[in-house]
Amino acid sequence: MTTTTAVRPLAVTGHGVVSPAGLGLDRLAELLRTGQPGCSRPSADDPAEFPARPLRLVPEFRLADHLGRKGIRHLDRLTGFGLVACKLALAGLSEMDSAGPGGPPDREADTGVVLGTSTGSIRSVSTLARDTITADRPYQVNPSQFPNTVMNSCAGHVAIWNSLRGVNATMAGGHVSSLHAVRYARTAIRLGRASRLLVGGVEELSPQFAWAWHRTGTLLPAAPLGEGCALFLVEDAAAAAAAGRPRLAELLGCEVSFIGAPSDRRHDPGAALAGCVERALRRSGLDPADVGTVVPGAGSQLALAHAERRGLAAALGRSPELLRTGDALGDSYSASGALQLAALLAHWRNGGGPAGAGIGLVTSVGGDGNVGCLVVRRAG
Amino acid sequence: MTDGLRRVAVTGLGAVSSIGIGADAFAASIRAGRTGTAPITSFDTTGFPYVIAGEVTGFDPEQLLDRLDPRHWGRSSLLAAAASRLAVTDAGIDPGSLPRAAAGTIMGTTGGEAVLAHQLSQQWVHSGLSQLDPRLVTQVPANQIANAVSAELGLTGDTVTVPTACSASNYALGYGYDLVRTGEADVMLVGGADSVNLQTHAGFFQLGALAEEVCRPFDAHRTGILTGEGGAALLLEPLDDAVARGARVYAEVLGYGMNCDAKHMVHPDSAGIADCIRQAHRRAGIDPAQVDYICAHGTGTPTNDATEVAAVRTVFGDRIPPISSIKSMIGHAMGAASAFGAIACCKALQDGFLPPTANVDKVDPDLGLDLDCVPGEGRPARLNVVQNHGFAFGGNNVVTILGRVG
Repeated sequence: MTTTTAVRPLAVTGHGVVSPAGLGLDRLAELLRTGQPGCSRPSADDPAEFPARPLRLVPEFRLADHLGRKGIRHLDRLTGFGLVACKLALAGLSEMDSAGPGGPPDREADTGVVLGTSTGSIRSVSTLARDTITADRPYQVNPSQFPNTVMNSCAGHVAIWNSLRGVNATMAGGHVSSLHAVRYARTAIRLGRASRLLVGGVEELSPQFAWAWHRTGTLLPAAPLGEGCALFLVEDAAAAAAAGRPRLAELLGCEVSFIGAPSDRRHDPGAALAGCVERALRRSGLDPADVGTVVPGAGSQLALAHAERRGLAAALGRSPELLRTGDALGDSYSASGALQLAALLAHWRNGGGPAGAGIGLVTSVGGDGNVGCLVVRRAG
Repeated sequence: MTDGLRRVAVTGLGAVSSIGIGADAFAASIRAGRTGTAPITSFDTTGFPYVIAGEVTGFDPEQLLDRLDPRHWGRSSLLAAAASRLAVTDAGIDPGSLPRAAAGTIMGTTGGEAVLAHQLSQQWVHSGLSQLDPRLVTQVPANQIANAVSAELGLTGDTVTVPTACSASNYALGYGYDLVRTGEADVMLVGGADSVNLQTHAGFFQLGALAEEVCRPFDAHRTGILTGEGGAALLLEPLDDAVARGARVYAEVLGYGMNCDAKHMVHPDSAGIADCIRQAHRRAGIDPAQVDYICAHGTGTPTNDATEVAAVRTVFGDRIPPISSIKSMIGHAMGAASAFGAIACCKALQDGFLPPTANVDKVDPDLGLDLDCVPGEGRPARLNVVQNHGFAFGGNNVVTILGRVG
């Protein structure tokens, strides 16, 4: 590999979490503390429209409660998740800026969005496609819905609602999408393309999404599907420290790899993950022994879960504490890495993690050949 | 914070387009002002008032691809993989070295595998969601486009699709450049792919942005876009590596600007675009006066071209360089559009010509009487620095700057 140089840590200074636990990191922490599953009953759709399998959904989500009634008529549920997550993540930003000795000179021009999604809103995309089939004329789609079908719709709306004129990127990498977003954010901040970025991932559990996954036949019958959005406000850790802004955590090494389709003879997701973990720890200046808590991503697909376990064992050489989120939150595909990170922060907030261990590891293994991991340092 | 950065060269080009397969065929058509738009054959246009698009005819994935089984991938993925395979061949790099290298791919797209999405929706409408074909389901996510490239070439590094609509492949070029520059990667295949599809055609028609027959950017009687498709790829590597292996260097990526209008999902914003151009110049370390040519976003809608030219005038003042739109020839290739633009720019630098705008009868006087949109055919010109525009729904602007390596 080209580079094993140390990464510049990103400080997490804000978070917006929309999950089957409800809104906010506190709700997620509470859910993890009780060990209960998140909301399992759809409120936006008729439950009969879903396949017979467990679901984890954002409970009672009404966008107007958070943004008011104006200008939200054409926004889809996925974009709504992004807008509310953004609102939560930016809450307190003004106080933070005014409290410190100096913030970025132009917050709106220097703040951007990097969002993981592999499909955009499948509901919006498939509904528009359905309209071309069922309408009297094939072109009779709703022009105000058409922009919802582009996959950067959510990131675009987040920028519009918050006047964020900086970097605005959308990353599609399957289950690893959110980690790709973190890598993108680090490069952008390192090169001075943005001072602050909202980084994370989003997913919407619609009947179309649920049936599509269900029909692949790859999911364990008891594995719930999930949805939600987690966005983290990040900036260069040294800059945050210099400005006296409170850091909730630091994002250290983030490494990804591609190993081809399952039919490919190179396909060994366990070995690839081990390589990512070793590289990410080295670039974080850490040893395998430093890792206190692992939040594994692959739980809904048996072969991938086995591969992830093998990879972790190979890289860490022991079994650290595992924080599994599958039963609480379900498999939220493109949002999974971001929601795993949210779960790690919530776990730490609950006082979780082995004594004295301040390093967590988020791992992700996609059935499409993408694998990745993220090293996280607890603040304080 | 910018110490230790490497210079980045473009050494390979791959085009699978409606006006030619392979960068040479593509560039020859561009230079001649040849148009690749024609009546749509990929879907049933019954009921559509407008039926012209820029389709890639004669695309035979079997012939262009070594490893992928075309039955397992959607059309956009195959276009991206084929373009990338062509770019590797064009670069003269040993393809056997790529799986061992720090190599990856960033691919842009707008609609992803929209043709497959339509097939799945047909299954939903006619048979119900419980009858979705699982093979199509696994092929449809946008990440499959970059995955196809890495699977075809055996790449193990960053493999990401950037679905930022119509500027997506300029994002891909920018991100790939940053990864090579910072040493995260030694070789990156960057570009984009999209397929002509019914939903996109319907959507642009309903927005009133579709032309009936001809795309004529900058013309007084321009009426809109024609939808298009294709796969476009560029191979990026450190300039030092390229020189060391005696590679032909088409261009150096000098820098890029990127921002978001943050105003409207669909309408472009002149001030946002002007800021993006200025940022690109600053990052590339050039003055506006050094720019010899602008490959415009140039969709051919009345709004885009007026907004784009206004933004250019804001930055360039009295003297604006020649600015043309290759969308006049290939239509709007969506997520591949700005990568096709970048390929045209590389060939223009290498071969010494200004890419033209086809189909121009009368330049719109409202755009300014001095506007040189290179109407008709390409003109010989020695170019040193060129600028490539990509704008998108969501206000996602990226402007890339490419320069001749002296």
